[in-house]
Amino acid sequence: MNLQNRRDFLRKLGLSAAALPLLGGLTSLQAAEPTAAKQRVIFVFSPNGTVPSEFWPEGEGSAFKLKRILQPLAPFKDKMLTLKGVNNLVRGDGDSHMRGMSCLLTGIELFPGNIMGGGGQPAGWARGPSIDQEIRRFLQSKPATKTRMGSLEIGVSVGNRADPWTRWSYVGANQPVAPISNPYDLFDKLYGQMKESESMVSVLDGLRDDLATVSRAVDAKDRGLLDQHTTALRDLERNMKEQQTSGALIVPTSPAIGVTMENDNIPVVTKMQTELLVSAFQNDLARVATFQFSNSVGSIRMKWIGIEEGHHSLSHDPDLNTGSVEKLTKINTWFAEQIAFLAKRLQETPEPNGTGSMLDHTTIIWTNELGKGNSHALEDIPWVLIGGGLGFKTGRALKYTKTAHNRLHLALAHAFGHRLDAFGNPALCNGGPLNLG
Amino acid sequence: MPLARVLKIIGAVCAVGLIAVGVRQGQRYYKKNLADPRSGEVVYREDCLRCHGPMGQGVAGKSDEPLLGEKSVAFLAKYIARDMPEDDPGTLSPAEALASAQYIHDAFYSAEARARNNPPRLELAHLTERQYRESVTDLLGSFRRGSSTHESGGLAAVYRGLKDGDSTNTDKNEAKFLERVDPVISFDFGTKAPAAGSRAEQFKINWSGSLLVPDTGEYDFRVTTPNGVRVYVNPPANGSEKNALIDLWVSSAMLRSGQGQVFLLGGRSYPLKVEFFKYKDKTASIKLEWRPPGGAWTVIPAENLSPKFSASVDVVSVPFPPDDASMGYERGVSVSREWTEAVAKGGLQAAALLAPHLHEYAGTTATAPDRAEKLKAFTWRFAQLAYRRPLTVEQKADLAKIFVPAVTPEIAARRAILHVLSSPHFLYPATGTQDDYAVATRLALALWDSLPDEALLKVAAQGALKTPEQVRAQAQRMQKDPRAKAKLRDFLHHWLHVEEGAEIAKDQAAYPGFDPGVVMDLRTSLDLFVEDVVWSEASDYRQLLLSDTILMNERLAKFYGQKLPEGHGFRPVKMDAAQRAGVLTHPYLLATFSYTKSTSPIHRGVFLSRNILGRMLKPPPMAIAFMDDKFDPSFTMREKVTELTAKPACQSCHITINPLGFSFERFDAVGRIRETDNAKPVNTVSPYIAADGTELTLTGARDVAVHAAESLAGQTGFVRNLFQTMVKQPTTAYSPELLSQLTERFRRDHCHVRNLAIEVAVVAALQK
Repeated sequence: MNLQNRRDFLRKLGLSAAALPLLGGLTSLQAAEPTAAKQRVIFVFSPNGTVPSEFWPEGEGSAFKLKRILQPLAPFKDKMLTLKGVNNLVRGDGDSHMRGMSCLLTGIELFPGNIMGGGGQPAGWARGPSIDQEIRRFLQSKPATKTRMGSLEIGVSVGNRADPWTRWSYVGANQPVAPISNPYDLFDKLYGQMKESESMVSVLDGLRDDLATVSRAVDAKDRGLLDQHTTALRDLERNMKEQQTSGALIVPTSPAIGVTMENDNIPVVTKMQTELLVSAFQNDLARVATFQFSNSVGSIRMKWIGIEEGHHSLSHDPDLNTGSVEKLTKINTWFAEQIAFLAKRLQETPEPNGTGSMLDHTTIIWTNELGKGNSHALEDIPWVLIGGGLGFKTGRALKYTKTAHNRLHLALAHAFGHRLDAFGNPALCNGGPLNLG
Repeated sequence: MPLARVLKIIGAVCAVGLIAVGVRQGQRYYKKNLADPRSGEVVYREDCLRCHGPMGQGVAGKSDEPLLGEKSVAFLAKYIARDMPEDDPGTLSPAEALASAQYIHDAFYSAEARARNNPPRLELAHLTERQYRESVTDLLGSFRRGSSTHESGGLAAVYRGLKDGDSTNTDKNEAKFLERVDPVISFDFGTKAPAAGSRAEQFKINWSGSLLVPDTGEYDFRVTTPNGVRVYVNPPANGSEKNALIDLWVSSAMLRSGQGQVFLLGGRSYPLKVEFFKYKDKTASIKLEWRPPGGAWTVIPAENLSPKFSASVDVVSVPFPPDDASMGYERGVSVSREWTEAVAKGGLQAAALLAPHLHEYAGTTATAPDRAEKLKAFTWRFAQLAYRRPLTVEQKADLAKIFVPAVTPEIAARRAILHVLSSPHFLYPATGTQDDYAVATRLALALWDSLPDEALLKVAAQGALKTPEQVRAQAQRMQKDPRAKAKLRDFLHHWLHVEEGAEIAKDQAAYPGFDPGVVMDLRTSLDLFVEDVVWSEASDYRQLLLSDTILMNERLAKFYGQKLPEGHGFRPVKMDAAQRAGVLTHPYLLATFSYTKSTSPIHRGVFLSRNILGRMLKPPPMAIAFMDDKFDPSFTMREKVTELTAKPACQSCHITINPLGFSFERFDAVGRIRETDNAKPVNTVSPYIAADGTELTLTGARDVAVHAAESLAGQTGFVRNLFQTMVKQPTTAYSPELLSQLTERFRRDHCHVRNLAIEVAVVAALQK
């Protein structure tokens, strides 16, 4: 499936072209109250480790040079932070992939369990909440930052099973959150109600005709009931139209059927999910999101950039296999392009009821369950932060030494005003939040 | 003859006593009236009309209550002679009292008079909630090649594991080591394997089959295990793991429970699948429980499980506002915005349930160039089934109009489905040409609360639904369908107010051990008994009232102190034949119509009057709370009720209610036999005036049951109740004589309940 332009996939989603101009100034309800500037965060996951030599920038501090993989993000270099040496130090049950995934946002050990990985002991779910859900809980607890959904858990081609490799977002211990990988399902979750009223409104004229036909055919004494029915339909119509104009942000039509959830459609699905995420943020339906490409040990086959092999098996090849390293570089570059697209869409969208662009009020955090694929290392986990949502000092490449990623999570929480002393395993929080200001 | 044995029949009018009252209280008219009594009409005009109005409708400020009811002329005469006119009671001679009673009775008071003055008609009605849900489910189901089962007895189980001594842990080395039917899922394997042939460390069990669901409502499911498990209840065909109702696949070194809720329609079977695995967990165990609507948590019993496969069932779970039940049965005679909204949401849910199968049902694919035409043709087929008849040219054109280029054919099809399910042609089944399709429509509603099936539509198309014989043949065929059983069960629940018992709770100090588990078992016991009788060869109404056995399981036998015969599950236990009387003395109903600490003769009496003896009771003129501590502490319950209802205004109904309730005083609030109440012997003897004026002496519950079973009044009440619940119209809307004709036939047919249902359906279908 070839995607022509933004209008094209919005149409595929069922957002009618006529509704597009409305996408700009939609959050009319919130306009009434002046509120503090919004803060948003998006966690993006891509699997199987990176190619460190092509990923980490050259240089340190504000003097750094992007290597190949991060090249697509060059336009956002001054809004970017890279963090090297921030490790996933959580140990215990489960293999590196499982811990890499399920401890990535939770920072806490897995329960012992019945899921056997490629090594170590079998394990179960994480023992605590993930940082995205912790921030969500905090924002939802206050009227000023509460939104209809709080958070969105979005996926692209996530394996259709629930286990520690496929879940990184947790409401609490033993409570993983399933991402929505199908844009039509996500659309339904976001706008289904409005779409349903639209369907209903579309059939009302026909129903009135039917009622009139039937009314003519029945005993005069029975017409009262049909009159009641006609009146009730009119009330229903008024009610639905009110709903559409008051709380509604866009007037979407139903999604067209067409894009199937298969490997080759991943680029299209990614664009569709990205647009839905941007529109949901624009409509202030949520302030927190996770965006998960595939899952740990994921095996996307990027045929659209000429790579036939699955991602995971390539990631096991030794560094000496330069062909595989080249392919892995391309794969990770493709992911960077998707992040760049998301950043671009946020950058070109003005902040509703605020100043600047939406990217100024959003921080994208791109990460991975491993530092490097073939060594299954949990050291030097890739962390790329883009955007101004959390008020960090950007335009820098930072280097740390064996620093627990729990401290990064603390910094994220603090940036939202949620002053946690510890997050995840408290033993890994020594030193407190990373100073990114 | 049992009637003669137990009932003492007294003369209908005690003239001597009445004259004595007249002489004492009203000398003025006495002599004159004896010599030259006025006619009933004149008495009414001169002495009654000023308060009761020309047609007994009442006069504001004087008598608000219309004169209507089902008491006999003799009863009215006695009442008039003693208490009327209110400002000068006792001034009418017995002859004038009798004449005026006769006039009032025949002119406007009796059911016959009311039917004559204001002939009931077949009112237009929309589908009731039950009819809507059943119809939509059958409509959606008609496109899939489904199968269902009603054969109970557990789930098919396949056990796989690694052979003893196999040191690998790969799934592909696993082999089947056991295959059997497990009656229930409740196992504790400890640290061992379930059977020889597998290592204890790693094994899998797959249970599959069907869930047999008795009643409609929300069902809760709960699985408890320290291992990995997924539970699927009614998953869609071609579903995947994400359709699991409960997913506890990943274990966490602890025993834990997962819960899920599903809305299911009663009388149907649903696919059920449980996938279980153990890998290196210390122990293995699993328990699968449910909580049916109004029930308590319990391991899903074998009776509700089948090892046979069922296709998944599309159920619309959108909540509906309750239907009008002011006439004692549910009917769709008012339209609110809430109802219209529920219909709209139901249509949207139905369309969503169809969406994944749309192309398959329409015989096309998502990319076929002709899919618009195919989907259009599908919506015509859909509408034809929903409207229960071939479409008119205009109806086809209207649906075709929805397929416009601006929307995809899939969206258009979805809108067409929404249109059809919100259309009056679907929602008001009585509208439309009065032809054989109309007969088929009414027959399917009467027997199933649903749509005609393919076979019935075929006969309608042939024009072969004209004679009672033709319709009866179809009704007999249709009664074998599980939907007929579900509908009769619905009637029996309605008749016995079974839903009211869902909230039974008793004071635990007064009735220790009477917990929700006992209540649920009692309900099952009642259901099984009633269905056993109705679906037996004889299907004898009288047996429902006269049987002296109660079905019990271990828990009930223990609570009621009975010895349980050998066997499994619920078994008949023979009770005291002199006391017990079928459903009337079933502990579930006795407990339902009681207070938490004591019996309630009023609740029991009202239920018996209305539901069992078919008597009409007006609502009480004033609401009086029963305050137990307001009475003399030495009183029995009977004495309290007698004192509370002593006023004449109360007595017009309580003269019927109390004797019936008092007859059951030998049963305590949980249905056990007792000899004393408040340290005094219970008294169950009272005089009772039957609907036809006959005076009886009731000595206990069994007398009431015999009266209900054998008397015309009891049988008529049952026939009327069954008719109205099945057809949702009064019998008098068909003809004033219909009720007595059906009752007469019922008596001749040895009170055969299923045959009665067929005759009711035939009458309703032919509308003659």
